Amino acid sequence: MTSNTAKTIFWLGTLSSAVIFLWLTYDFHQQEPKFVKADQISEQVIAGKKVWHKYNCNDCHTILGFGGYYAPDMTKAYYRLGENNIISIVMNPEKVYKNSFRKMPHLGVSKEEALQIVAFLKWVGTIENRHWPPQDEKFIKAYKLREANAQKLNKVDIVMGACGGCHSFEKMGRKLAGDFNDIAKRISYDRDILAKFIINPQSVKPDVGMPAQDVSPETAAIIADFILSLKIEKEVQR
Amino acid sequence: MIRYESQKVAQYYLGLSLVLFCLQVVMGLWLAVNYAFTLPQGLVDVFSFATARAIHTNTLVAWMLLGFMGGTYFILPLECKRELFSTKIAYLQLLIFAVTAVAAVIGFLFGWTQGKPLLEIPVPLDFLIVVAALLFVANVAMTIIQAEEKSVLQWMLLAGVTFLAVLYLFGMPFFKDLNVDYYYWWWVIHLWVEGAWELITAAIAAFIIIQVTGVERKVVEKWLYVETGLFLFTGLVGTGHHYYWIGSPDYWLWWGGIFSAMEPLPVALMVLDTWLHIKERKNPIVNPLLWTYIMGLAIFHFLGAGVFGFIHTLPPINYYTHGSQITVSHGHLAFFGAYALLNLVVFYFAMPQLKGIEKFEDRLGVWGFWTMVIAMVFMGVVFGVAGVLQTYIERIMDIGYSTAHMAMMFWFRVVIFFGLIFLTGVLMTVYHLFTLKKAVA
Repeated sequence: MTSNTAKTIFWLGTLSSAVIFLWLTYDFHQQEPKFVKADQISEQVIAGKKVWHKYNCNDCHTILGFGGYYAPDMTKAYYRLGENNIISIVMNPEKVYKNSFRKMPHLGVSKEEALQIVAFLKWVGTIENRHWPPQDEKFIKAYKLREANAQKLNKVDIVMGACGGCHSFEKMGRKLAGDFNDIAKRISYDRDILAKFIINPQSVKPDVGMPAQDVSPETAAIIADFILSLKIEKEVQR
Repeated sequence: MIRYESQKVAQYYLGLSLVLFCLQVVMGLWLAVNYAFTLPQGLVDVFSFATARAIHTNTLVAWMLLGFMGGTYFILPLECKRELFSTKIAYLQLLIFAVTAVAAVIGFLFGWTQGKPLLEIPVPLDFLIVVAALLFVANVAMTIIQAEEKSVLQWMLLAGVTFLAVLYLFGMPFFKDLNVDYYYWWWVIHLWVEGAWELITAAIAAFIIIQVTGVERKVVEKWLYVETGLFLFTGLVGTGHHYYWIGSPDYWLWWGGIFSAMEPLPVALMVLDTWLHIKERKNPIVNPLLWTYIMGLAIFHFLGAGVFGFIHTLPPINYYTHGSQITVSHGHLAFFGAYALLNLVVFYFAMPQLKGIEKFEDRLGVWGFWTMVIAMVFMGVVFGVAGVLQTYIERIMDIGYSTAHMAMMFWFRVVIFFGLIFLTGVLMTVYHLFTLKKAVA
């Protein structure tokens, strides 16, 4: 091979790839807004992104799979946790994760900032990114089913969709706030109190770490039924 | 034994670089402790994983860049057959860079960051880095312009450092759209490690190979052209392998997948040409350790960056491995193989000359090399095991984050074990480099 051939290979390789890459970049900017629903990036979402940067969340959590691999991915966190849970976690991680094997630092996030983070994560959750991460697809499915027609769902779907972000049941959910089988054995609440507890835990037990759940009284009742049904060691209707 | 007085500026760059290397590894061990054990809330509140990670990765980038810059300043006078354009600029640039680095680390401890992974340095400090980078590029450019003999290596180096500096700018703006944010974030991260850095390190490695083996310059330059051509050909469009899951058109899967699958090719050529040049050497082997490092660089670069990168670059596999400890495993092997070893080649080439030693006593250095290499291979394997376990539990069995991470705690204790061995190797190597002595004949 002569020096000139080598030189030609260099320029041909570099320039052809650069041209393709720049063209792809141009096309990316043309197409990208429809994948991210750019029209939904509100002031609140932008403020939330600034909060996300401010507390350096991304060095523990991944988002779109990028960042620190230490804590769960946040791409679809809105579907996994819901608004109230996100607020409780970012404002009082030391309470929520009191018994967890892994801690999150108390960052001093204000209520306003927490709401902005929620808006940001809600928007991020809608990015069409080919269903990544795989492990959160079930939460999105459950969220959408709940939204469409809650009454027709089976109990396990409702409960795990709403509560699986912290509680576990058999092999589902997260082992953070206890398994429903254990909770069922431990509690002495009746159906009404349990439903009230789910909607506003502190009204029943002031020092409890669980955040208020944004569910209707009907859904709370379904969840209460489900938990109480575990008490009498009956096969759960799936 | 240095031929040009201005080469001396390199020793401060290389010295600071080695100190940061140690700090990086210590911080890495601390990160592993975070994974392996449950830490008390009070400690997490004041020194979080995020802060430690920012220090770990930024000291990495800083010691890499200091090595490249010091290496460039060391070889440039030899390559241009003249003194550097200005040693004052070189010292000023180092001062700015060092002050910024210290300010950045202290800032991190108090939560002052830009909040972008790997690019945490806040924007005001970024401007200082840009100033330092401009000084560096200008100094290199002026030295080359005023050189009487022009060479391929000179402009390859200049192109590399300019490309490096320009790309840094893409990480500085605030993008309101997360997807666009990460699109350009990869222009810094990917196009650095698979573009600009490859240009610089390929040029530096080629120079050292010419000097050490005595192989004809023309031959080495031909290889350099072909390799860097292929690096950029595969690497530029290959950036697409980071765009599979950010919300992008479908064709990225094909462009990104196919081009990045070819990325091992130029590294394989590097292994081949290093091997050939060593076989056809015209010079005697004075310091065997330097030759070991050169060959180790080629092979580890190929395995860590090339082969391991290839394994999970195709979309159907990447869907499961993306954002898991498998990426961590690849990251460690690739950075150590491609860049840490390159820097160490530079150190073992330059530091004896700066001390006026032709043949150095290398016993401790040999121990350091093998300890680091073996410990890093094991660390890579253990991260990989943790990653497969994580992916299997979280994404195939679909059980959940906590279960996966609790299962990984054991493996991170193993990582700590090998990390301590790695640290021992690093300390041996750094101590050896700082206290180089003439070999007893």
